[in-house]
Amino acid sequence: MILAGLLLLLALVLPGLPLGEWRAFLLDTAQFAFLISALALAWDLLARTGQLSLAHGAFFGLGAYAAALTAPPMGTLLALLIGGIVAASFSLLLGLATLRLHGMYFAIATLAFSEVMRTLVLKATFTGGAIGLPVQPAFGGALPLGSYYLAVAVLALATGVSLLLGKSRLHYAMAATRQGEAVARVLGVPVVRVKLLAFMISAFLAGLAGGVYAMKTLFLSPYDAFGLGRAVEALVISIFGGLYTTTGPLLGGLIIVSLETWLRLRIGEGYLVVYGVILVLSILFLPKGLVGLFHRKGVGHA
Amino acid sequence: MLSVQGLSKRFGGVVAASKVHLQVKPGEILAVIGPNGAGKSTLLNLLSGLLRPDEGRIEFLGKEITQAPPEVRTWKGLGRAFQIVQPFPEMTVWENLLVGALYGKPNTSLRVAEQVVKEVIGLTGLLSKAQTLAGELTLLEDKRLELARALCTRPRLLLLDEVMAGLRPAEALEAVELVRRIRDSGVTVLFIEHLMPVVQALADRVVVMDYGQVIAEGTYHEVAANPKVREAYLGRAS
Repeated sequence: MILAGLLLLLALVLPGLPLGEWRAFLLDTAQFAFLISALALAWDLLARTGQLSLAHGAFFGLGAYAAALTAPPMGTLLALLIGGIVAASFSLLLGLATLRLHGMYFAIATLAFSEVMRTLVLKATFTGGAIGLPVQPAFGGALPLGSYYLAVAVLALATGVSLLLGKSRLHYAMAATRQGEAVARVLGVPVVRVKLLAFMISAFLAGLAGGVYAMKTLFLSPYDAFGLGRAVEALVISIFGGLYTTTGPLLGGLIIVSLETWLRLRIGEGYLVVYGVILVLSILFLPKGLVGLFHRKGVGHA
Repeated sequence: MLSVQGLSKRFGGVVAASKVHLQVKPGEILAVIGPNGAGKSTLLNLLSGLLRPDEGRIEFLGKEITQAPPEVRTWKGLGRAFQIVQPFPEMTVWENLLVGALYGKPNTSLRVAEQVVKEVIGLTGLLSKAQTLAGELTLLEDKRLELARALCTRPRLLLLDEVMAGLRPAEALEAVELVRRIRDSGVTVLFIEHLMPVVQALADRVVVMDYGQVIAEGTYHEVAANPKVREAYLGRAS
């Protein structure tokens, strides 16, 4: 909790620090890391109910396209909100359709959803199709650091929601659903409602992150915005950082994205190899992720 | 308190419950016994809502619950402990109980739920294990946790599925005492059991099932003397 606060504070003051000639690059990397960390935090919220989603790249993309398309008439903040709501609405439909699926079957269904969404956006005309979609900068470009601070805000929101849920009644319902659905029901947990609620909150946050991403890159293509790789990254970050926690995806996201960027600079495409080795090692030797190093018993509030 | 009328359940060609009639009176301890495969566990799953019957009717406290989902039955006061204990393994004992206390009745605040857990954890002798992970308990402790978790939902009627199975005689005796205390605190109990000494010690009334049907009903001594019951357990003397 303290760590999360410090990180967010650092994110806020980062543009004011003397970063030298690397300033633009560092801020750009940081902003991307914030958005991916927010996505990982969102992914982890759903994972807490035992559902492993591969649809989070699609929610990210849906939020990105919805925000990009509605920003010109509606303004930046409203467009971002709409992006989140669109993602949450699709998650509700997907959630209702996959209620009876568990484990691998659920994951495969979300993977299929992700591919269908990408194909739809690719074939539609109002999305720009395969050519892509140019996006207006945040606040019409009036604030140079606008999208940077939006990314900080989305990360702060995702962190706040994750912490809050970890201390709420819902925390126990989600953990119980994950660890034994039938038993949870007999104990009175409304499993269906809990799953759908977690799905919608999670997708909403992913959609928000996607919206800010659109305003950062200023150009969307279906291959980038709906990439399966993004869902996998959210999953990897949460496992590396520590599942079912707030600190885990937050810290894991910042570390992994930074590491990835640095490796890409040093060794080009070879970065994937090093990246893979680090991940295998961390899964082998840190089964509970980074936060497992500061292990506490129970479902925890790390 | 609980009234079951003509309840049937088939799995393919197997009839697991056939026109079962059953009445549970407030404040009693009712045992359901029968040979393996008699349909006892199916009956319990039908009562707690994990299975839906093909026909028949279940009423609880005067209201029909035949099609109600499990969580709704729990909210109405129908608690259940499982035969194969299924604690939430990554939670501590305290957290396991908290789930039951929080969700056993709708809109329970964390503060109220913690109060409930405090009361139940003392009653069931798990206080010293409160911070132990449920995955690290002994079998006896597991069984206690299973009972305690069901109690945390504040049931009016508690369904117990062979909670003594696998316990040593001394431990079973302890568990019998615990069930008595639960009844004395105002909870009606319906339990399934294989161990006859336990049935004899606990049950006010016994229902005997065989091949999905109720074949006898009465006090322990009445059913023990019933020729149909002897036949079911020992086979037909022809």
